[in-house]
Amino acid sequence: MSYIIACYKWVVDEADIRINPDLSIDTKKSKGKISDYDKNAIEAAVQAANILGGKSLGLTFGGPETRLSLKDALSRGPAEGCWISTGEAAKADAAVTAKALAAAIQKISDVSLVFCAEGASDTYARQTAPRIGAILDWPVVTSVSKLDIEGSTLTAVRKLDDCLQTVKVDLPAVVSVLPEINDAPIPGLKAVLAAGKKPVTEIKAEELGIDFSPKTDVTEIKGYLMNRKNIILSEGEAADKVKELAAYLRKEGVL
Amino acid sequence: MAGIYIYSDKKDIVAELINFAKESEKEACVITFKQEDAEAIKDFGAEKIYVLKGSSQVPENYGKAVAELLKKQDADLFAVGATARGRDIAARTAGYLDCGMVSDVSSLSYREGTVISQRMMYGGTVIQSEELKGLCVVTVPAGKFEAAVGGETVEIITIDVEADSRVRLIETAPVLREGTDITAVDTVICVGQGLDKKEDLQLAQGLADVLGAEIGCTRGIAEERKWLPVERYIGISGAVIKPKLYISMGVSGQVQHVVGIRDSKVIVAVDLNEKAPIFRAADYGIVGNMYEIIPLLTEALKNA
Amino acid sequence: MSEEEKFDVIIIGAGPAGSSCAYTLAREGKSVLMIERGDTPGSKNVTGGRFYTYALEMLDSGLYEEAALERKVTHEQIMLLSGDRSISIDYHEPGFNTGGEAPMSYTILRANFDEWLAEKAEEMGAMLACGIRVEELIERDGKIVGVRAGEDEMYADVVVAADGVNSFMAQKAGLIKDIEAHTVGVGVKEVIELPARTIEERFNLKEGEGAARMILGCTEGIHGGGFLYTNQDSISLGCVFMPAKAAERGKTIHEIFQDFKMHPSIHPLLQGGLTVEYGAHLVSEAGYRGIPRKIYREGFLMVGDAAGFVINTGYSIRGIDLAMLSGIAAARAIIDAENTAEVGPQYLKELDEIKIIPAMKAADGFFDVLETPGLYDKMPNLANDVFNNLFTVDGGVPGSIKKDVMRLIKENGLSMWQLIKFGLKGVKSL
Ligand SMILES: Cc1cc2nc3c(=O)[nH]c(=O)nc-3n(C[C@H](O)[C@H](O)[C@H](O)COP(=O)(O)OP(=O)(O)OC[C@H]3O[C@@H](n4cnc5c(N)ncnc54)[C@H](O)[C@@H]3O)c2cc1C
Ligand SMILES: Cc1cc2nc3c(=O)[nH]c(=O)nc-3n(C[C@H](O)[C@H](O)[C@H](O)COP(=O)(O)OP(=O)(O)OC[C@H]3O[C@@H](n4cnc5c(N)ncnc54)[C@H](O)[C@@H]3O)c2cc1C
Ligand SMILES: Nc1ncnc2c1ncn2[C@@H]1O[C@H](COP(=O)(O)O)[C@@H](O)[C@H]1O
Repeated sequence: MSYIIACYKWVVDEADIRINPDLSIDTKKSKGKISDYDKNAIEAAVQAANILGGKSLGLTFGGPETRLSLKDALSRGPAEGCWISTGEAAKADAAVTAKALAAAIQKISDVSLVFCAEGASDTYARQTAPRIGAILDWPVVTSVSKLDIEGSTLTAVRKLDDCLQTVKVDLPAVVSVLPEINDAPIPGLKAVLAAGKKPVTEIKAEELGIDFSPKTDVTEIKGYLMNRKNIILSEGEAADKVKELAAYLRKEGVL
Repeated sequence: MAGIYIYSDKKDIVAELINFAKESEKEACVITFKQEDAEAIKDFGAEKIYVLKGSSQVPENYGKAVAELLKKQDADLFAVGATARGRDIAARTAGYLDCGMVSDVSSLSYREGTVISQRMMYGGTVIQSEELKGLCVVTVPAGKFEAAVGGETVEIITIDVEADSRVRLIETAPVLREGTDITAVDTVICVGQGLDKKEDLQLAQGLADVLGAEIGCTRGIAEERKWLPVERYIGISGAVIKPKLYISMGVSGQVQHVVGIRDSKVIVAVDLNEKAPIFRAADYGIVGNMYEIIPLLTEALKNA
Repeated sequence: MSEEEKFDVIIIGAGPAGSSCAYTLAREGKSVLMIERGDTPGSKNVTGGRFYTYALEMLDSGLYEEAALERKVTHEQIMLLSGDRSISIDYHEPGFNTGGEAPMSYTILRANFDEWLAEKAEEMGAMLACGIRVEELIERDGKIVGVRAGEDEMYADVVVAADGVNSFMAQKAGLIKDIEAHTVGVGVKEVIELPARTIEERFNLKEGEGAARMILGCTEGIHGGGFLYTNQDSISLGCVFMPAKAAERGKTIHEIFQDFKMHPSIHPLLQGGLTVEYGAHLVSEAGYRGIPRKIYREGFLMVGDAAGFVINTGYSIRGIDLAMLSGIAAARAIIDAENTAEVGPQYLKELDEIKIIPAMKAADGFFDVLETPGLYDKMPNLANDVFNNLFTVDGGVPGSIKKDVMRLIKENGLSMWQLIKFGLKGVKSL
């Protein structure tokens, strides 16, 4: 039975990132999460596996903290999990990430369809799917907002800047989906319990035989500081607050 | 031949990237996939214009062909307009070349064989500076450079190439833009998913009418609920606006949205939840129910 | 029902009560499922932040050494506020809290502590499902046989309600009614981050050591009090009120808390800090008489806050340790009982043996003491007045201290008789 793969990334929750006064960033208190739109990619893979009669698999590439993601990912429906584990992932760029994922897909071997999300919540680079396609030399369909599968042919509606485009492609293929492709369900009790029992393969980075040195050199990371007046009217009657706000806006001269 | 190679499905960005190549003191070589696209830009000031001719109508399917051309020509850099098509073809090319790529740069320069770029990470929380050496790829949003003023008409070089024919185009349905450009107005009223139902857009419209404003929204309102056209949503994947006044109602203010309003002169937020991040991004805020506040505000500003 | 869907025990809530119960059961080889509605255990839990480690010792010897604890409490403090004045008492004994085998008391942050404890239970073999809210109990032939969450049903021999104060599950089981306002307080709390060094300087602490402070007079006369705990690199500051009384004052709890934070004796302690967490939670105030008449049914037990196991003496709240003990007691009862009918009565015996019920009975008198009129405004004010009188030197002839104090008592709207009664009640409760 062939595999339908959803690539998902375990990312730092951007809402927890703290910016120090010197604009350096602090991620110590940040929790990890499955990149928001990857939940839609996972759901797309689960649905596609149902149609194709294949096996859905969640694939992720990341450091030791990524272990935490598997239970969450598997509770969202995939039959299996696969984790490419390496500390090198922390400094991986899109080139390395795509190579690692592509190498794992080759290792899994019997794969008919690979899903990525449009972009990851941290990088939002929107590179991974086309890069994986290029490395495997598979056809790629990006920005997919609607998907139909019949036999081994996939029909997709792509949402581009100026048009909706319908394309057809025979599998295997790499697809990146937009979040509106489906509603990613919140896992229920049985799904969460089942997740703990699903098989997970851990691939050590060394097994993939690829070069983990990034092509881009990150020279600085700095936080963006929002400098606003932050005059927030929270107490009192609505009418008074509105009056106060209107007075401020008049003074600002923006009406 | 070395040079900065350029592709965009938007003519404006082509003109901007030609100027970027000139500023970088490099030859501007534009890649197109159709004769008429090449004709349309032949006097933009590029040194070279290529048409990669193949059997597919989908530019993205030429990633491999582009990679081969860049290698053969010993290109310095492939600069691509950051549109859906552009990002796809750029990343595929980078994949075939196994080279570095920076997506959606917020600033970009090219000096002595090194690309120096900045981009946003974590939805806009963080700005990351990167350097790339050797042949690499960048995608550049519209408006990062002045458009080139134009120049002599140049010869168009046509190369026959093989396109990836596996993805077949069945149908194209143009999406009609409705004309209003929320990036160009002075006042924007932004609705978020705090809005209960589509009819309640009236609430925003009432205030917009009083202020002569346009209505914008968050991604979910446009993409998921489809209550407003997609060009009205603001943020990292939508429009970036710089109005004099931005007023939000029922917008939580996640960073991906706020990135799109950072350059507004005055930011006002109305939200039920006093802990909503929008208040940290706002100059003025009212914690309250917009169904109560907005009608009062509309009334109060009527005579402004 | 299939084997897959049945456990020996299902525990609702992965707070200290639930995790201790799960740990003990799993260690003895029982199949245990713990269901927690938060995305991680402790993520939504609010507590003051002091914990007595003997409870961990009871769970497993030596466990406290690896626990997610903050600072060892070596400074016990009491503070009386009135207007912009304050009196502070700092009990410090260098050897205090070294304990014998296990130290006595540490400050904790629940997000860390609960997550750690739940992980320990998982290590023992318990299953943990987070992000799931149990909505219903499943009842068959008068017995509780399982739980329902969303579409899913799951079965067990015994269901343990460890879902905290005002237990929704106990209500579903028909063992408690909705809350009675006079027996629960509302606690609000902030965690304010500061560098460890700054905290040590401001509180005069050695590295790794901490202060626990109870504060009276910060609630505008409303039954309640404040607390301040020093964590490794943050301060937990909060107060507990009777909500109905706050409403009568026409002030929101939030406003009273803001005033408290701005008090000239509190604010400098927090200055420069960053509020990283804000939460509100109910806390049981009734002590022994707050324990529901029945805390079990066949197939169903209540532990921790769900069963009302909190001792609030005014100078300290003890809930976490009692929650853990009751979790252990429940587990022991389940392990020892021959059948589900026996579990409940056995649980009561275990509670007695583990000394929860006796401890709560002993502390019962505090409830009356804490009801004393004037305790939350007039008395702290009187104390401050007395000190003001004591320390004021204006060149005049000092009056008789006794007379002055009598005058101040009267000025504060109190009478000697009230104070004596209060003293007697206090003594009786000891
Ligand atoms: C990679 C990526 C890219 C993204 N790009 C974008 C983007 O470009 N643009 C964008 O907008 N989002 C984007 N998002 C999504 C973004 O993260 C947020 O999810 C989104 O902006 C939230 O939209 P919202 O504020 O309308 O809805 P919510 O977050 O649901 O907020 C609704 C708000 O309404 C308030 N509310 C409810 N009822 C009332 C009432 N009666 N009165 C007043 N207030 C009320 C609530 O308190 C809440 O704060 C992106 C996300 C990712 C991961
Ligand atoms: C402001 C304040 C200060 C306090 N200070 C102290 C102190 O300093 N020291 C001390 O010892 N005690 C203190 N307490 C008391 C102490 O916090 C409690 O007694 C203790 O947390 C009780 O533990 P528990 O496990 O019974 O319940 P909780 O800690 O309340 O845990 C209940 C768990 O059940 C989960 N849950 C609830 N309903 C469901 C459901 N339907 N489905 C799934 N999961 C559910 C909750 O998310 C939670 O994780 C304080 C309390 C408050 C409010
Ligand atoms: N480390 C990773 N592990 C698994 N999938 C990834 C990883 N990085 C990116 N992806 C996938 O590629 C998509 C696009 O990522 P990006 O190109 O970084 O925006 C993500 O939404 C994921 O589906």
